[in-house]
Amino acid sequence: MTVANTQHFDRIAEYLRLKRQDDVSLADVVALAEITAESLQTFFETMDAAIYRELREISDYINAMKAEIAALGVHEIRETRIPAAGQELDAIVKSTEAATNTIMECAEAVMAADSKDADAFKALVDEKMMIVFEACSFQDLTGQRIAKVVETLQHIEGRVSRFAAAVNTKDIGGFVDEQEKRRAERKAKLILHGPQLDGEGIAQDEVDSLLKGDATKKSSRKT
Amino acid sequence: MTIDLTMPILVVDDYNTMIRIIRNLLKQLGFEDVDDASDGSAALAKMREKKYGLVISDWNMEPMTGYELLKEVRQDPGLAKTPFIMVTAESKTENVIAAKKAGVNNYIVKPFNAQTLKTKIEAVFAE
Repeated sequence: MTVANTQHFDRIAEYLRLKRQDDVSLADVVALAEITAESLQTFFETMDAAIYRELREISDYINAMKAEIAALGVHEIRETRIPAAGQELDAIVKSTEAATNTIMECAEAVMAADSKDADAFKALVDEKMMIVFEACSFQDLTGQRIAKVVETLQHIEGRVSRFAAAVNTKDIGGFVDEQEKRRAERKAKLILHGPQLDGEGIAQDEVDSLLKGDATKKSSRKT
Repeated sequence: MTIDLTMPILVVDDYNTMIRIIRNLLKQLGFEDVDDASDGSAALAKMREKKYGLVISDWNMEPMTGYELLKEVRQDPGLAKTPFIMVTAESKTENVIAAKKAGVNNYIVKPFNAQTLKTKIEAVFAE
């Protein structure tokens, strides 16, 4: 495009240079108008092609983005996978709570039992211990349920990562909505971190040192 | 050192299971008068109705956290001297420092055992 325009502008410049010393006639003006019109016609034709090419590229990009968004499987994630993961987590909470209650009931029954009659006490302890063993079977199911939730998270992570790479996106700060913002502010204000993984929080002996004003003691917590 | 085993104790936690565990541990230690509340505001209401000899509170609860409860208790002239033990999974240094600054008497990190609870209660009443 640049070369074509330069050639036509050169023609106009050359014409004006040649005619600079002469009187300008109507024919000269018409000739100059024709040259200028020819030049602009080519210029606009070239520009049309460039704009078309750029619009085509934008269209291709939009189509590619639509394909990437479709590959995210947003509807499936929102309507199937996340609700299913939520149900699994609910089931985990219920099963662990039920198991804990069962185990505590057994412990409370043993603690409250009269141990004067040794045979009766042993029979009670045996019975309660069997119930404790049975209650502990929740751990197997819980492990399987957690594996399903982890699979869902990996599914989402994989697709979001692919999408982020496709659009070459960068993280921006901020919150999705007011509710998320309020939750974050509450956590910061009330110092809510939740349970820590091994090595992240401090151990009881460090807590004791901090309360006594000795912050130099190192943790004995294993990581 | 003698601890009054008849003193009322208030256990504050939003998990019934944890309340039950602490209640059983306290029972083993000889404490019989144990009440419970599911968050800071419920605890505060109970504390204004009944005089407790000790409060054992979780940190992370809604709507009122144990940290907010501690600060409310320390600002209330009628409750300010109540011994307060935080029992929580919040184990960051800044939590312990904030609780200490707010006037906590002792701080137990979950998970904990009966011996730790016993030791910390004894330490509070030895002050």
